[in-house]
Amino acid sequence: MIIKYFIIGLIIICSILLSKNKILTSTLAGLFICLQVGFTYYVVTHRGQTDAIYFTFDELGLIFLGILCILSITSYYTSLIYLKFEPVENYNIYYLGFLGLILSITGVYLSNNITLTWIFMEATTLSVAALIYHNRTIFTLEATWKYIFICSTGIALAYLGILFLSMAEKGFAANGMSYQNLALAAKVGNPLYLKLAFIFILVGYSAKMEIFPLYTIGIDANYVAPAPASAFISTALVNAGFLSIFRVYKALTGTMVGHWLGHVLLITGLFSLLVAAVYMQRVKNFKRLLAYSTVEVMGIATIGLGLGGSGCYAAILLVILHSFVKSSMFYQFGQAHKILKTYKIFKTGGYMRLYPAGAMVLLIGLIILIGVPPSGLFIPELIIFRTAFATNQWIIFVIVSLLICFIIYGMSSKILQLVFSPVEREIDTQAKINPLQTLSQFIMLGFAMYMCFSQPEFLKDLILKASTILP
Amino acid sequence: MTIFLILLYALSLVYISIAERFRTYVTLIAFQGLLLFGISFFELKKVETLNLIFIFSETIIFKTIIVPILLYRVIEKTKSNKVHKKSLPGYYSIILVSFMLVISYLISFFLQHPSIDKIYFTVSLFALFSGLLLIITHKKIFSQMVGFLVLENAVFLFSLAIGNEMPMLINTGILLDIFISVLILGSFATKIGDTIQSLETEELSHLKD
Repeated sequence: MIIKYFIIGLIIICSILLSKNKILTSTLAGLFICLQVGFTYYVVTHRGQTDAIYFTFDELGLIFLGILCILSITSYYTSLIYLKFEPVENYNIYYLGFLGLILSITGVYLSNNITLTWIFMEATTLSVAALIYHNRTIFTLEATWKYIFICSTGIALAYLGILFLSMAEKGFAANGMSYQNLALAAKVGNPLYLKLAFIFILVGYSAKMEIFPLYTIGIDANYVAPAPASAFISTALVNAGFLSIFRVYKALTGTMVGHWLGHVLLITGLFSLLVAAVYMQRVKNFKRLLAYSTVEVMGIATIGLGLGGSGCYAAILLVILHSFVKSSMFYQFGQAHKILKTYKIFKTGGYMRLYPAGAMVLLIGLIILIGVPPSGLFIPELIIFRTAFATNQWIIFVIVSLLICFIIYGMSSKILQLVFSPVEREIDTQAKINPLQTLSQFIMLGFAMYMCFSQPEFLKDLILKASTILP
Repeated sequence: MTIFLILLYALSLVYISIAERFRTYVTLIAFQGLLLFGISFFELKKVETLNLIFIFSETIIFKTIIVPILLYRVIEKTKSNKVHKKSLPGYYSIILVSFMLVISYLISFFLQHPSIDKIYFTVSLFALFSGLLLIITHKKIFSQMVGFLVLENAVFLFSLAIGNEMPMLINTGILLDIFISVLILGSFATKIGDTIQSLETEELSHLKD
């Protein structure tokens, strides 16, 4: 079935190449979204099965595929509005990149083979490049060049990590390099090679997960890409990076190097938080602010993984909720740009007066992102802190708490300025947005808030199963 | 024979680190592709026919023919043929490169593996460091692209060092990697060349916080 999905998907994408008008392109893209929904339904109903040898519909893949499906629908809808006045050539290239990205991310989520994950990850670079270059300015050129260059270097390093894994235990490469074989081979593998392999894979995929050390290109990509694309890159693609690192970590965690890997993740998470805390104070652009917020959330998720046990459960929950909140915020900043004509923080203000529904989205999004109850993000962050206490990691607790204080200040001061402070320049009040276009953002934020009070049993069960095997 | 080719490969790395003309870079990249084919041909004795076709297309068709042609086109289109005047002088480069060779040997000694030849491992690491050095110390986009290709070659040499157990899938991956990276990097370098004639990375620093 998955092969059929890829073939039909590729046919639709190729048809867009031949399209000469925007209506046809939108229809083809809509068809692709229907295909994505249908395929997700198929995966849900065939949970646990393996398809075409290299793809398994496990709990982890299923959770993220579900989120990808929702984000695909909302991003498609937002893109239709956002790109209304784009020339047909740009319009087609945008959808080529967007659909190509959905296809390759689906491959990353479901592949049960470390090499195949790596191949699909490489394919995401190509699709993202098309999205970043959309506006064709000197800024987009710079961001695209940096993205391709650093991602390709990162991917090469991740490949080196895979080679180290096959050096650690020869049986791994000979048996086909699946994650299952990796877990078996790693038990008897050379610890030094396993450690090196993990470091290389972590560094390589950090570009996609937007964590330290290769987080910078993600910031630039989010900054220059159209708002709906930024929303997608900052959530679905970041989740792909998270999942790829998590799968390797999960396979290696039962071995003698498991404890060491945890420490590496803790250090990486802390550095990511530090970077976010520092840069969120000096950032001058709202899209960069949101991008640094992604670095922060993914940093906390990395710390959760590093702590192990229920920290892993919390990390997955955190990443799920972050996907809904961050995408809503990016969509809303896209709408704010339509009214304010800028993303520059010092040029904005009075948004509550200009577009109250949008201002409410930003306020609710802010509350959820900083993890204050009734934010859904409060629950996973609390679990992570509790795990830090339980494992006597006091120093982690203190450092994370301090850095989060800085982040809350940086984020709140800038968004509150946009919403409430008086604007010091002329703003075209004619630009109106239909509040119905903001409805999807309220729904996604509402879900993230609801999760603070009650978590559906099926989701709990899925996350628990996805994070098993870990200590 | 393999050892001779690997030593030649190491020499090409030293030369590429001190070279100042882009055409020399391209010639050396093509030469490295040829050497990699030679090494893989002699080393992978039991390789399957399909795998051999992949390796052939990767080393000869891509690394020796297509990539150099693309790089020459970039040179011609951008009319840029020399490294930046502020780049690390050759004298310092050769000291740095020698130092890296020693470090590579020490690391490979420390990480010695029963199934991997130490010289193989040392040269792979040396190639990796040389690629990173080119990326870090040079200020022109073209030099950085060459640095990336040296890094890709290092990874390829590394995969050869491990032996012929590598499945077909991984070869497909390498081919895809080269295809995407070179085509995209090549086309973007040309686009940047249209916008910024000097092809200097300093011109690409508009994105700041």
